[in-house]
Amino acid sequence: MLIKQMLHLVGLSLLIMAPFLVVATPVQEIEIRNHLFYPSEFEIPAQTKVKLVINNLDATAEEFESYALNREKVIPAKSKGVIFIGPLPPGEYPFYGEFFPKTAQGKILVK
Amino acid sequence: MLIHSVIIILQEVFEAALIVSVLLALCRTLTISRGFFIPALFVAGLAASLYAINIVSIMGWFDGVGQEVLNSVLYGLIFIAIVSLFMSIGQARSSYAVSLSMSLCLIAAVVREGSEIIIYLQGFWGDSALIQSVVVGGFIGAGIGFSIGVFFYYLIVSLSVLNSLRICVGILILISAGMVSQTIQFLMQADLLISQAPLWDSSWWVTESSVVGAILSALIGYESTPTPIQVTAYIISLLISSSLALRSIRVYLKKSSIEHT
Repeated sequence: MLIKQMLHLVGLSLLIMAPFLVVATPVQEIEIRNHLFYPSEFEIPAQTKVKLVINNLDATAEEFESYALNREKVIPAKSKGVIFIGPLPPGEYPFYGEFFPKTAQGKILVK
Repeated sequence: MLIHSVIIILQEVFEAALIVSVLLALCRTLTISRGFFIPALFVAGLAASLYAINIVSIMGWFDGVGQEVLNSVLYGLIFIAIVSLFMSIGQARSSYAVSLSMSLCLIAAVVREGSEIIIYLQGFWGDSALIQSVVVGGFIGAGIGFSIGVFFYYLIVSLSVLNSLRICVGILILISAGMVSQTIQFLMQADLLISQAPLWDSSWWVTESSVVGAILSALIGYESTPTPIQVTAYIISLLISSSLALRSIRVYLKKSSIEHT
């Protein structure tokens, strides 16, 4: 019974993870300097997967957080982090730095 | 700065304290030794420090998504530990298997939350202007989180054996499904699973940034914009966990009523 359930689960996840068409993913670089995002606002195309490369130049860690995008990632001091977002429908997607939320704020415009 | 560090540390400690208090309460209800607790906590602390110290090289694994892969493994481990805990309750020689499952659950939960706390604090080490308020805030946050855990523990153990068993198992079922949903979320962020449009948006009702949202997210894995894969996986895990839990509770109650008569 249990083994059967587990096998179903494995089967389902394999089905979901079936390889998808590989196309070049556009890259958007973001820098964190003095607890601010540069650029703090940028556009990405709708219905397209985008790779965000976040370069934290500060001596403190930051957590990239966006409820609209459903993404969160800790970027340690002086390091780069990669986050994949999209494909997304057009709209505004705010994001912020959880460790310095007063200053570190930004918005992604999907068009 | 102080208030932010209170909130950040409180969030992390609360999530770990919730799991730990439920596990300890369950031990008491099942009259299982809690001898594993201190060694497991020690191992978890060590592993969390190793994770935090090596975070930059871990991030580089798998083309820059090592952190997501490791986090989804940790969340997956919590799910497996809870499932194996349910499978071992009520079995013959259960106490060993129960302690082992609980240790695994505790270690994975503390490593996940603890490593984030260490990474956060690490950044302020050299900053004499900020370190003081961050450490004070951290202590306050950790104190509140710890107190909630202690309160929760005594609240559960004050109930009758049957009720506290129900509450512990009920919470663990919800946590386990939430962990699977989080695993999926990180695999999508790492582009190892296809990203999908959310199935619904309940952020008008409760946002994850609110206090209620944070509690719901720790307790039932609440997500205001979940994807279809996440919802499907959540429901499947809920079914697996609860069917196993119900069966083992039945066996356990039967066994203990035989022992008492």
